[in-house]
Amino acid sequence: MPASEIAELVPQLHNVVCTVNLGCKLDLKSIALLARNAEYNPKRFAAVIMRIREPRTTALLFSSGKMVCTGGKSEEQSRLAARKYARIIQKLGFPAKFLDFKIQNMVGSCDVKFPIRLEPLVLSHQQFASYEPELFPGLVYRMIKPRIVLLIFVSGKVVLTGAKVRNTFAFSVFQDKKELLHSY
Amino acid sequence: MASTSRLDALPRVTCPNHPDAILVEDYRAGDMICPECGLVVGDRVIDVGSEWRTFSNDKATKDPSRVGDSQNPLLSDGDLSTMIGKGTGAASFDEFGNSKYQNRRTMSSSDRAMMNAFKEITTMADRINLPRNIVDRTNNLFKQVYEQKSLKGRANDAIASACLYIACRQEGVPRTFKEICAVSRISKKEIGRCFKLILKALETSVDLITTGDFMSRFCSNLCLPKQVQMAATHIARKAVELDLVPGRSPISVAAAAIYMASQASAEKRTQKEIGDIAGVADVTIRQSYRLIYPRAPDLFPTDFKFDTLWTNYHSYKLRKLM
Repeated sequence: MPASEIAELVPQLHNVVCTVNLGCKLDLKSIALLARNAEYNPKRFAAVIMRIREPRTTALLFSSGKMVCTGGKSEEQSRLAARKYARIIQKLGFPAKFLDFKIQNMVGSCDVKFPIRLEPLVLSHQQFASYEPELFPGLVYRMIKPRIVLLIFVSGKVVLTGAKVRNTFAFSVFQDKKELLHSY
Repeated sequence: MASTSRLDALPRVTCPNHPDAILVEDYRAGDMICPECGLVVGDRVIDVGSEWRTFSNDKATKDPSRVGDSQNPLLSDGDLSTMIGKGTGAASFDEFGNSKYQNRRTMSSSDRAMMNAFKEITTMADRINLPRNIVDRTNNLFKQVYEQKSLKGRANDAIASACLYIACRQEGVPRTFKEICAVSRISKKEIGRCFKLILKALETSVDLITTGDFMSRFCSNLCLPKQVQMAATHIARKAVELDLVPGRSPISVAAAAIYMASQASAEKRTQKEIGDIAGVADVTIRQSYRLIYPRAPDLFPTDFKFDTLWTNYHSYKLRKLM
C-alpha cells in the first residue's frame, strides 16, 4: 500500500465516553422507579443505569449528580445523548443542569489493508510495544505523544483508544507509524 | 541483578604516597602493605581465618566454624539478628513440662513477607525442577519489586509467580504461563497482569518467545527421540520464517510441528497427548496443523528419515482432520 494511501486513512470512531455534571443531587431510587429504561441495583453498583434508543447509548447516573455516558459513535452524538439524559432527569423533577461536559475516551479502529509482522515491530520499539502471544494475540503499543494505546493485529486491523480529542487520531504520528508498519 | 542497597561509603585505608594503589593484605603478619613503596599502612589487622581446624568428613550436627545462620544477607537485608535458644537444663522447664522461656518468634519482623515469598518461590521452582540460578534470579527480581512498593497491593504469591516467569524468560528457558500456573495457586490472568506490571515497574523487557525454546522440554516429556525433536524444531522454524502461521501463538505452532514430525516418524503421538503436554487444546493444534500441512515437504529437514511418508498418512484421515 503506497504511503499516500496510508496518509489518508482516518480511523472510524466506535465509542465515545463522556462525563457531565448535572449540578444537583439525585434520588436514585425514585429515578429507577419513575424512569422507563433504568436499572438500579444498589447492592451491586451504586448508580442507575439508563439507556436510550436514539442515539443508542447507556448512562450511569450517580447520586452526586455526575453522569457517565457511553456508547456514542461520535462526539456530537455523545453530547446529544448526554443532553437527552439531562432532559429526562429534568422531566423527572430534578433541577438538572449541563455542567462540565467532557469527553474522556474515544475508541476507534481502522484497517491498513496489509498484514503486519509484529515480531520486528516489538523488537524495534521495545519501550512502547508489548506483545505476548500467550496473553493476547495483538500487540499493545502505548504511544507517549499523544497518549494513545493501539492494539495492532496481524491482519492489519488496528484499534486505537485513550484519546480525548479527535485530532489525536488523525495525527501525523499515526501516519508515520503506519508507514513504519508498511516497511515490516 | 542484585540490588545495591548498601552504600559504598566505608572509609578505605590508602597509602599516603600512593592513594590509588590497591593494598596487599598479609595475613601472617596482619599488615596491609602498599605494593608500590612497601609501606605498611595498616597493622594489627584482625585475621579472619578460622580459629580452629574443622574436618569436613565427620558431619557432626554442629559446625564449629559457623557463628551465624547461613542465610544470604544479599536478599534479606543483613540477617544479623539472634534469638535465645531453647533451654537444655532441668531448670528451664516449669512443672508441666513446658519450657519456661517461650519467645522464639519474630526473628526478622521486617521483610517477613519477603522471606515467606522466597520460600514460596523455592517451593514452586522445586515442583518443576528449576535450577538454582533461576531461583536466585527470581529472588532478586522479587526483592526489587518488593522494595519498589509499586505493586504493594497485589498478592505476594502472584508477584512471586510472575517473577518466576520473568526469570525463566530472562535465562533463556521460558516456561509457558500455563506451566507456571500449574505450580502456583494464582490464575493465569492474574499472573499475566502482574507480569506486565512488573516489567513496567522494573523498566525491563523480555525477549519474544520462539518455538525452539520449548522443543526440548515438550519432546522429552513425550519421550520422542532426538531426530524427531530436531525435525520438529526445523519444521517450526521454517513455518515461522515462511510466515505460514501468522498470528498463532508459538506454543501452538510448536505443538503442530511436533505432531507433524512425530506422525512422520515411528514414534507417533496423538494431538491429544501433545495438547496435554503443551497446554494447548487439540483443536488449536489441528488449526495450526492445517496451516502448515500444505507446505509439509518444504518444512521437513532434508536428511529426515520418513517412517510414514507424509503423502500417505493423511489420505484416509483427511476427512477427519479437515
